[in-house]
Amino acid sequence: MSYFILQILPYVTMVVFTFGLLYRLGRWAGARIVHDITLSPFPQSNTQVLGIFGAELIFFRSLFSSDRALWVGAWLMHMALFAVIGGHLTGIYFLGKQFIYIGTSENLSEQLSALLGTTMGLIMFAGLLYLFYRRFAVAKVREVSTLSDYLHLVLLLSIVTVGNIMRLWEHDLGITYAPVKDYVTHLVMLMPLPMTHEVFTRPFFVLHLLFVQILLMIFPFSKLMHVFGMFAERWIINRVYKEPAPGLPNVDVQAARRAGLGLPSSEGGV
Amino acid sequence: MPSINVNGVEIEIDEDGFIVDPDQWNEDVAKYFAQVEGINELTDDHWKVINYLRDYYKQFQIAPMIRKLCKETGCSLKYIYELFPTGPAKGACKLAGLPKPTGCV
Amino acid sequence: MPKYKDMVQPVRATDEEMRHIHIDPVPDDEKCEKALQYLDEMRKKFRSFVLAMESCVKCGACAENCHTYLGTKDPNNIPTNRAELIRKIYKRYFTLEGRWFGKLVGAEDISLDIIEQWYSYFYQCSECRRCARACPFGIDTCEVTFVGRQILHWLGIVPKLHAHVGAAMERVGNHTNLPKPGIVDTLEFLSEEIMDEFGVEVPFPVDQPAEIMYIPSSADFLLNPYTLMGAGMFFTYIGASWTIPSTVTEAGNFGLLFDQMFTQRHNVTRLLDAAQKLGVKKIVWGECGHGWRAAKMYIPTLADRPVRWPITHLHDEIAYYIRTNQLKLDPAKNPKPVTLHDPCNYARACDLIENLRTVIRASVVDFREMTPNREWTFCCGGGSGILFDDPEMYQRRIQLSAKKAELVRATGVGANGDGILCAPCSICKAQLYPMVEEHKLGVEVKGLVDLLGRALVWK
Repeated sequence: MSYFILQILPYVTMVVFTFGLLYRLGRWAGARIVHDITLSPFPQSNTQVLGIFGAELIFFRSLFSSDRALWVGAWLMHMALFAVIGGHLTGIYFLGKQFIYIGTSENLSEQLSALLGTTMGLIMFAGLLYLFYRRFAVAKVREVSTLSDYLHLVLLLSIVTVGNIMRLWEHDLGITYAPVKDYVTHLVMLMPLPMTHEVFTRPFFVLHLLFVQILLMIFPFSKLMHVFGMFAERWIINRVYKEPAPGLPNVDVQAARRAGLGLPSSEGGV
Repeated sequence: MPSINVNGVEIEIDEDGFIVDPDQWNEDVAKYFAQVEGINELTDDHWKVINYLRDYYKQFQIAPMIRKLCKETGCSLKYIYELFPTGPAKGACKLAGLPKPTGCV
Repeated sequence: MPKYKDMVQPVRATDEEMRHIHIDPVPDDEKCEKALQYLDEMRKKFRSFVLAMESCVKCGACAENCHTYLGTKDPNNIPTNRAELIRKIYKRYFTLEGRWFGKLVGAEDISLDIIEQWYSYFYQCSECRRCARACPFGIDTCEVTFVGRQILHWLGIVPKLHAHVGAAMERVGNHTNLPKPGIVDTLEFLSEEIMDEFGVEVPFPVDQPAEIMYIPSSADFLLNPYTLMGAGMFFTYIGASWTIPSTVTEAGNFGLLFDQMFTQRHNVTRLLDAAQKLGVKKIVWGECGHGWRAAKMYIPTLADRPVRWPITHLHDEIAYYIRTNQLKLDPAKNPKPVTLHDPCNYARACDLIENLRTVIRASVVDFREMTPNREWTFCCGGGSGILFDDPEMYQRRIQLSAKKAELVRATGVGANGDGILCAPCSICKAQLYPMVEEHKLGVEVKGLVDLLGRALVWK
């Protein structure tokens, strides 16, 4: 079973994820931007458009203004998520020694990597729990939720819970960077691992990967597409718009006032 | 289409109770609508407003600007609301047999 | 038909009235099949609609940013749930997950009841786009309402009000069935009124050769005399060569609101024909929110020929002449406290925000901002022409304007019963005239150019 999850399923996952994504994005691209529905105030340059994209992506600016209570949880959760994804990539690639490039010792770098990973994992867990709680507790959110909305959160919470267990009880239940890097390298190079490899002996690692692969497979067919949807939607509603020049043709206000236009006694009155 | 019967004559009205064919209007129709609108008695002032609306409509195929109605009949808007509780458009125009005003009004 | 299975619905146009706007209503037993066909066409065409269908995460942020939900507390009036009325059908027929997992993802078979639901809820949405502003991804539920109303229109389901407006526009060139003699008579009357009240001679040229074509809202001819008067006084004051075309005395374009295909394009064609015939150089738009959005944002993509005429809004022009110090204004002529209602189409679709303030600050003594305002403005509750006056829908209009009433009250302008609520849009005016009474706000509703006209110093 472990062998299937770690050695065969990943290829199925990647195929489903990639082709699913292409299928979805292709459908979006097939429909067109028919009318100009830019939201005002209109940006006047592409730099301003980038500013809007950046503020939305990094700070969730609109949500900050529209629903502060949700913003707190959503922003923390997503920022922790970005950090965790970045941590996985760099930690596994540099074996936890990524911080030596900012001047720490190898030992300190590994400790930092562990500390940051643990903290972000816990923040993400708390954020997800808060979002889950809102779906039950806040009437308006309950009213917009369907079964799949709850299931998405259950899946994400499962992934994070397993990940956090592996972090918090690293020596008993977790796994070190080195065998994981070895595993990923083999996977990418399409080379099978021997059945005796350490990764197969770590049940929580296998479970973590199983959940992540389920997530990736439903990704293109679910609301997780909001990651791309946000850019596609803002591409439509945040565009540069240049106003036509004001000023009316052949109007000379001073001359009109000198002539006393509108005044009954004036000669120049119409 | 619903209809009303005034002195034995069937007159078509729309869902809002406005007369469909303004040519079918007569004073009895106005009296009938007055009852529907809860107006006990049509006074001279009522008739002044109704007749002005009808004359204007005959000439221009439209109700006059409310401000003009007030000015020409000498009735303030407040007084028109006293005469026709549902107002100049829905009340007075209905009694005068004009079609219901449409658009952003 | 004010109610269907406990849902409020506007009175709908008869089959005969639908034929006046070029639609043969689809019989009931074909409605579902046709609705799916039209939905399929729309989803293949409008990306903004597809994204609203496919990338909402149901976070609920839109709920309390919608005045309709705030006023009615009906869960189907939460923007994302309103979109869900179509989304559940979309999922069922046009997505893999909906076809395979149905219930789990909230997919549902189409039925006549669903179509009736669309009619009820898409005509409670005022297409104000506050949800688009609030959404973290910018999903524009207004686009969903547009699509919903378009499908309903093709099925033959349109409110009587909208159908009448469409037919009147085609017949005489405005929404109120105002023929040319009535237009001329009203304008002559207003010239006399201006002379009586302000002591100035202001002619209103109709169909005259001119440089500028002014497009007023036809409601101004019946309900908003000072808006027309103000515009005439401004043009006279600056010595403009201007005219009103009798073939298009309408700033609005209800095509935007129920049929963005034939009706809206037809109205655009009519406008461009008028501009060409009169040989004007520039088109200036009057006080009308949805109409300004239709003109500014949609004419470029709906005109099927080169548009030679720059089109600007009256308040863009007035603000320009104020900024360049060319108008002499005396704010003391408008001494009452004034607050400004930002019409949603100006604020979120047309970027007509700061210029309104330039005009109002120069025209009145005591201007007080409403909070929230600008691009966060709340709708008056009548947006997209949902000005229905049968008893059930009228009650709903009171609910839909509740949020606005709360904001107006908070400004304090009506505290002494002599405030002014400036609402430079015909739908806003038509909605707010009765609503300020219903909510007892102590304010009088005025247009913006109304105040400007009064403040002009002629000597």
